[in-house]
Amino acid sequence: MGSIFADFQQAQRVGNGRLLASCLAPIDTAQDPHRLISFAQLSNYQTISSDVRYYLIQAPNAVGLSKAEANAWVDIFVALWKTVKELVGLRQGNGTGDWVRAFDSYKELCNLLVRGYTNFGFQSWTVPCLYVAGKYIRIIAMKADSEVKPKDANGSAFTNGFSDDIMGDVNKHEKLEQAAWTINRMFTVCLSDRSELAESRKWGIYSTTNLLFKTYFRLNSISLTRNVIRALEAASADLPPLELFPKSHRCTFKYYRGVIDFLQENYTEAEQHLTEALNLCHKDSLKNREQILTYLIPAHVVNHHQLPSHALLSPHPTLSGLFTPLFNAVRAGSLVAFDEALTSAEPELVKRRVYLTLERTRDICLRNLFRKVFLAAGWEETKDSTTGEVTGKIRRTRIRIEEFEAAMRVGYKGATDVMMERDEVECFLANMVYKNLMKGYIARDRGIVVLSKAGAFPGTGV
Amino acid sequence: MYSSSSAPGHPPWQAQSSYSSNQNAYIQVPARQTFGAQPPLPPPPTYFPPQHYMASPPTNTPPPPLAPPAKKKMNWSPDVRDYVNRSFAQTTALPGITKEHIEAKLKEIITEATQSGRLDTINWKELPLPQQLIQEDRNRALLAPVPPPYYVPAVPASAPSTTTYQPHPDAPRKRKSTELSKEAGDATAPPPWRTSAQSSGPLADRVSFAPSDKRPKLDMTTSVSKSSASLESRRRRFEDSRAGSNSPRTQESSRGASPEAKVTGPIVGRCQKLEKNYFRLTSAPNPDDVRPLEVLRKTLELLKKKWRSDGNYVYICDQFKSLRQDLTVQHIKNEFTTSVYEYHARIALERGDLGEYNQCQTQLRELYKQNLGGHPVEFKAYRILYFIHTCNQTDMNDVLSDLTPADKKEPAIKHALEVRSALALGNYHKFFKLYLTVPDMGAYLMDMFVERERLAALACLCKAYKPDVRLRFVTEELGFESDEEACQFLLDHAPEDSSHLLEEREGDVRFLTGKVGSIFQNAKTRAFGLVDIKGQI
Repeated sequence: MGSIFADFQQAQRVGNGRLLASCLAPIDTAQDPHRLISFAQLSNYQTISSDVRYYLIQAPNAVGLSKAEANAWVDIFVALWKTVKELVGLRQGNGTGDWVRAFDSYKELCNLLVRGYTNFGFQSWTVPCLYVAGKYIRIIAMKADSEVKPKDANGSAFTNGFSDDIMGDVNKHEKLEQAAWTINRMFTVCLSDRSELAESRKWGIYSTTNLLFKTYFRLNSISLTRNVIRALEAASADLPPLELFPKSHRCTFKYYRGVIDFLQENYTEAEQHLTEALNLCHKDSLKNREQILTYLIPAHVVNHHQLPSHALLSPHPTLSGLFTPLFNAVRAGSLVAFDEALTSAEPELVKRRVYLTLERTRDICLRNLFRKVFLAAGWEETKDSTTGEVTGKIRRTRIRIEEFEAAMRVGYKGATDVMMERDEVECFLANMVYKNLMKGYIARDRGIVVLSKAGAFPGTGV
Repeated sequence: MYSSSSAPGHPPWQAQSSYSSNQNAYIQVPARQTFGAQPPLPPPPTYFPPQHYMASPPTNTPPPPLAPPAKKKMNWSPDVRDYVNRSFAQTTALPGITKEHIEAKLKEIITEATQSGRLDTINWKELPLPQQLIQEDRNRALLAPVPPPYYVPAVPASAPSTTTYQPHPDAPRKRKSTELSKEAGDATAPPPWRTSAQSSGPLADRVSFAPSDKRPKLDMTTSVSKSSASLESRRRRFEDSRAGSNSPRTQESSRGASPEAKVTGPIVGRCQKLEKNYFRLTSAPNPDDVRPLEVLRKTLELLKKKWRSDGNYVYICDQFKSLRQDLTVQHIKNEFTTSVYEYHARIALERGDLGEYNQCQTQLRELYKQNLGGHPVEFKAYRILYFIHTCNQTDMNDVLSDLTPADKKEPAIKHALEVRSALALGNYHKFFKLYLTVPDMGAYLMDMFVERERLAALACLCKAYKPDVRLRFVTEELGFESDEEACQFLLDHAPEDSSHLLEEREGDVRFLTGKVGSIFQNAKTRAFGLVDIKGQI
């Protein structure tokens, strides 16, 4: 009679949160490939409430829950049944199912679940229910939004009551926004639990945080993640240390923290978080590793001026295809190749939000070019100041600006629309010095660059 | 014959009693005006159309015979019984018309016949079946001419279409609907703001045409299938509440109606005054205070003239805000709208009011997406410059993702993109050349960040050039008009005790970059720290 109820009773008996949570997932399982349809056919709108009540409370094998708690579970499963009913209808494709109704029912489930924690004494071991409910409300919301669009495209622009401007927020993500709101409630329910750590819902905090991050990213309202991070930081004293949380929670959390820092141009913190995420990430989950590397590599290049090795990129052909031409150009100091690689990859890089960061690596490309000028400038003999004896040789450190100008013309060889001016070359030289990529100074009156005798190009061996 | 947009599910006595109470903001128990049976539950949460919107004259005659527990048992003639039977027969069913529709229509027909006393005179054998009548209504509605777009949506709001005021429990929470809890969903009155709007004059005054001859238009404003669907769902809810069942069905049907349940519809203004001060709306606008499109066109011309002659920004900005508001409440969305926003954006730019400019820019972006004319290229370029000013990498990324390859070839956009890339690479040489060649009104935007970029360039210069450079070089590289201006800029940003920055030697003024230390580095940090992300002033 519906493996869902059997699982529920079993989970309640032994206190298995994951098993309990799996009951709330509106999917078929490997054990019960017809779980949804059999659950949907269990009852009808008139009798579902009493039927669920029977299976949860009155059945002979039912565990004794307190009255309030049992009632809360009944409501939750009624909401689940309504969702499943829609989903089964959708699967049958006979027009009886609707994503929007499915979403509304599942949102009801989530709200009832949250209320179960706040009002009806759900225990902390049931917290995995929040993960599952949060996961599916997000998925269903996105489905519902993609359904609504064609139908409501015309009216939605005007739904905004008394706003002064004609285009209110055109709501393409109405349901997902509601989902974000619901998940935010789950987050609060986890964060605000004051019971002892062993019995605390705080153990659900990073899972719900991750869901919230995910949803905000999808809504393209990344600024909202700041509130979440602030709330976490404010509560950090009361939270269990991050290391004690499941690896999956930690890895995802670190990834999002890293990306958020990356987008705010805090590359040092971003690199830290993303490195941790990479270390936590399972070695075979290539997709996740690729996601992490998408941000970690640019952050690392900007921070340390080190390019990724072939071995690091080779398992990820997409990423490699995007990054390799660019980094080859950086290595070679070829400005024209760099510009071409950046332009051709621009749409993809913009989509991944790394374009503006990678653009900065042009400095390193230019540094490499100027370094070649330095290397090509040759050697000078050093003489003992008193005897005039030749004691050895060092690289020539006084280089005419024309030499750098020539290098830039070489760097742009093949480019048609670039006009190099001497002042512009000077400007780039000044930038190199300013950014500590090159040590020395420009003596403008003499038209030369005076480079440091010890390490003119820091970190490059010369 | 009732038109399909009046409430076919409700017998007329209900319509009358609740109309008398609908001027009130609160639920009133309808006074019993007839001796017929009342439904066991209070009347549904609908706003009933006033009598003169109904095509057929309302009556005060006894309730229709189909009302379920009628005390007075009617004796139906065999003809009527046969007509009813035929209506529900399988063979006469038409696709797209449900049993509920037929039932409602049938009720309507018989009620009317009873009330007008024609029950025995009608030739029931010849009378078209209810489903045929419904079909005819729908066809007529479909064939009717479609009025101009910005005018259409105005009709349902000024005429009391029931769906417009339908509060439904699943709607996003709004200020005014807090009192409408889910439980109350079955018995609610029109919200207070609605009644206050009505109290400004009789309903009929709010429509600028005679209700009777415009009547068919009402049907086309909402698509027929939509309106009938909503009516059906409304009736189903009504039946559910009568049956006293609290089954899931009740909720579901109210959800089904949700797409139609718009909180506010557009209105049509009647105000002929050209000028109007801006007030933020806190309730539905009064059409007497709203200017229609023709007036607004004249308003824009007037404002343009006044801006050129007086240049009073506070006044002009206020006027533009009310102009935008009038466009919004009337749902006017066309090329005129675009031109209003563009003009306002330009004026705001001219006065450096970035907050107002940003509002216009956001709206313009949506308007351009719908191809409503205007100058999308020009404003896309401004948008790029604007985000350079706010230093927001995330927003800039969004702007870049919006650009098409064709956009990037446009001179103005290309210029803005070059400005962006020059700054990203620290290429102040190129940046200041671009500053001198900026097209359109981009210079107003670039003025916003040119000072801080000068400080950034100076910080760079001072670190890289030793021991000094000619002041002339600074003037040229940083796009100053003259050496004096450059000199003034340097001195303005240096602390007072540092008088040794400039030196005259061999007829040249020299800038002692080697002695500056971190003066301009600090000034640069301060200048970038000051950027107000929202750009509000």
